[in-house]
Amino acid sequence: MNNLNFLGDTFLLVTKSGIIFFLFIYLVFAVVVVRQVKLMTETLKVGFETPIKTLALVHAIASLFVLVISFFIL
Amino acid sequence: MPDIFKSKDSGVRSLKAPISEKPNIKIHKNAVQEIPVQLPHPHGHNFKDHTHNPLASFCYYPDYVQFINEDPEEKVILLIRRHPVSNLGWLFLVFLMILAPAFLPLFSFFDLLPLGFQSVLVMIWYLITFAIALEKFLTWFFHVNIVTDERIVEVDFVNLFYREITDANIDQIQDVTVEVGGAIRTYLHYGDVVIQTAAEVPKIEFEDVPNPDKVAKILRELRLEEEQEKLEGRVR
Repeated sequence: MNNLNFLGDTFLLVTKSGIIFFLFIYLVFAVVVVRQVKLMTETLKVGFETPIKTLALVHAIASLFVLVISFFIL
Repeated sequence: MPDIFKSKDSGVRSLKAPISEKPNIKIHKNAVQEIPVQLPHPHGHNFKDHTHNPLASFCYYPDYVQFINEDPEEKVILLIRRHPVSNLGWLFLVFLMILAPAFLPLFSFFDLLPLGFQSVLVMIWYLITFAIALEKFLTWFFHVNIVTDERIVEVDFVNLFYREITDANIDQIQDVTVEVGGAIRTYLHYGDVVIQTAAEVPKIEFEDVPNPDKVAKILRELRLEEEQEKLEGRVR
């Protein structure tokens, strides 16, 4: 047997819900990171604020992307 | 009366110089039209640690630093953060985490999952790896120690949800201790600078900073300067 279908659809549905819930919480975390980075760049400016804000934003966008794609893939 | 202040070749010729003597230099309209002036160094040091790199661990007289609650007249003398070597641990961990999904087929359980689940789990894994790398980098980048002509400031970015800012006036510094221990620290010349203060926070610690002796030297000079200012009544 190639996959876990023998465990039934319920198992996969619960796993899918768990993953999506985790990704949703992760998205909230990523948004908080963006906010925190914004606060920190206001606390300390050394001329490297844009790349750091971009990194945090890329992280948030990536987490949103994974959340959206998991709806379609799973 | 002899004009004692008049030099033989004063060099002030630009106003009366004929147009033909002007150099034919085309300045771009967006260029900053400022003549670079070589100012005397404010201290007796001749450190070569001045850098334009915002990621530098030791920057003497940094080009651009602004921090919260900075006084307008305050001058930043030193910006230091942990030595780059202190990042090797998490860099190695992140490297291993990047490679880890390549070994997932070795685990039979992973193969049993549907392809969609496998893909999403790998993406989540890389997302977590990204978060760890970002968190560690931000912790290193924002955990800085700033020495100004008036005070020392420690900005401590403990983690993504907790930060702490401590400061003490230069004249409140009571004792400065340099601690360099271990082979790697001795070889790469970095260590801790422990500053005992009479401020509300009794101890400020600059951890794993490069050139701790130079930091201590600068602090000593600033303390002497501050004492001199007090004696002369020039305290801000």
